[in-house]
Amino acid sequence: MLARGPRGGLTPPPTLPLRYMLAAVGGLILASLGTAWLAPDLAGHYYQPRLVALTHTVTLGWATLTIAGATYQLVPVVLERPIWSERLARWIWGALVTGIVGMVGHFYLGSWAGLVWAAGLTALGGALHILNVALSMRGLPAWTFTARMIALALVGLGLTILFGLSLALDRIWKFLPGEFFPTLHAHFHLALLGWISPMVMGVAARVYPMFLLAPDPGGWPGALQIWGLGLGVPALALGLTAFPPLLLPGAAGILAALGGHLRWVSAMAADRRRPKLDWGLRFVLTGTGLALPAAGLGAGFALDLAAGPRLALAYAVLALGGWVSLTIAGMLLKIVPFLVWYRAYGPRAGRAPVPTLAELSDPALEAAAYAFLTAGVAALATAVTVGEAVWIRVAAIVLAAGAVALALALSRVLRHLATPRPGRAAATPAGASA
Amino acid sequence: VIEALRTVLDPELGMSLIELGLVYAIDITEGTVRVTMTLTAAGCPIHDAMLEWVRGAVGRVPGVGEVDVRLTFEPPWTPDRIGADPAAAIARSS
Repeated sequence: MLARGPRGGLTPPPTLPLRYMLAAVGGLILASLGTAWLAPDLAGHYYQPRLVALTHTVTLGWATLTIAGATYQLVPVVLERPIWSERLARWIWGALVTGIVGMVGHFYLGSWAGLVWAAGLTALGGALHILNVALSMRGLPAWTFTARMIALALVGLGLTILFGLSLALDRIWKFLPGEFFPTLHAHFHLALLGWISPMVMGVAARVYPMFLLAPDPGGWPGALQIWGLGLGVPALALGLTAFPPLLLPGAAGILAALGGHLRWVSAMAADRRRPKLDWGLRFVLTGTGLALPAAGLGAGFALDLAAGPRLALAYAVLALGGWVSLTIAGMLLKIVPFLVWYRAYGPRAGRAPVPTLAELSDPALEAAAYAFLTAGVAALATAVTVGEAVWIRVAAIVLAAGAVALALALSRVLRHLATPRPGRAAATPAGASA
Repeated sequence: VIEALRTVLDPELGMSLIELGLVYAIDITEGTVRVTMTLTAAGCPIHDAMLEWVRGAVGRVPGVGEVDVRLTFEPPWTPDRIGADPAAAIARSS
């Protein structure tokens, strides 16, 4: 029986996700340069205004902007639902970018009063993003694994915003019960495990098989991820802030979820039919591998086997810089060429010679980005553990070289928007090469 | 017709529709060609464009008048179809 295919025109114009992603790459470069600049601070305790500015450059300026932009491309593709309002998505971009710049700036200056408007604007952007995606997902024909993980992530984003706003207002009015640091740790883990992780895991389950040409994942690892994060993250947050006995069960749930994710990704990598991994996929798989040491350190903290600000910084570097950032960098190297190709060459394909996606990319620059970013993350995790400012700066410079190489690799792709070129692959008998 | 379809590549994978096993059936009735095909993912954003490329490629084959491209997701594509014998598509339609 012939099934009715997805409606044409579901995906928004490529410029919508691209604007988020380009701003995010700016955030990555700023964060890596900021790491080098703040090396002496990073050799000490992590809770300093300038380091909070750095952390938000990574979590909001890099990770959140990329994920939000990718969501506007991926929801129509993987859930087959149009974006509820593309115009709203453009306004959200403006609110988020302005708010994040304001937040980072005010954190850096230690200006808590000025932080309120910036945090409020960012929170408004985040809340509108939740609304826009939630309304896009209304009436889904099937609540697939990816759809459930995106829904979990939206809840996680909402809670992260709530905790963050409460922390910001508490700096002025002092109303939060309990100690400050447990609430701060809960805010960080809600962002990492409540917002970013379910998005990474949900999208991985749908997109990695497409890129790796692997069978769709299924079975018990999916349930582990959904229930592990769904129960583990609230338990961890409550365990940190109000009811300590929930801390260990929460951590166990999160580790189970990560185990399910690693099981799926390793199975997809092993069963792939794609003969050669490109740099985007190498980024993604390396990032997934770095989730292991991050999880080990996290488990160490939960079990009181690890403690102290230096190991906490190493944990943040491995989780945010390793797992999350390398995965995001890999996804950018897959998504951006497609968006550019679709806009620059899609209308000409079948009528004139056009290049393939691989021909848009610069493998040498992508390889340099991979080498510098992976080496930089490993070196930075080691350097912050040792607590030596000189080595932190050296590692950060390597990281910055990787960020610049990634930006250059993406800019080479973006050049095709301005000057499309004929492709070699189209010299075919029918002249219809894509 | 199969050779024409070999020239239509998935832009991301750099493999042709035939190599990927995306073509399920080819019915040829005098000058009319009906291609029944699928995509690697149901929400594939190049959905519309891909159908147009197939129409263009097959339409340029000498003797072909009308090209009817039908999209199906039954059965859904899996990587096991990579390298499937394209002759089976014609055999199925006859």
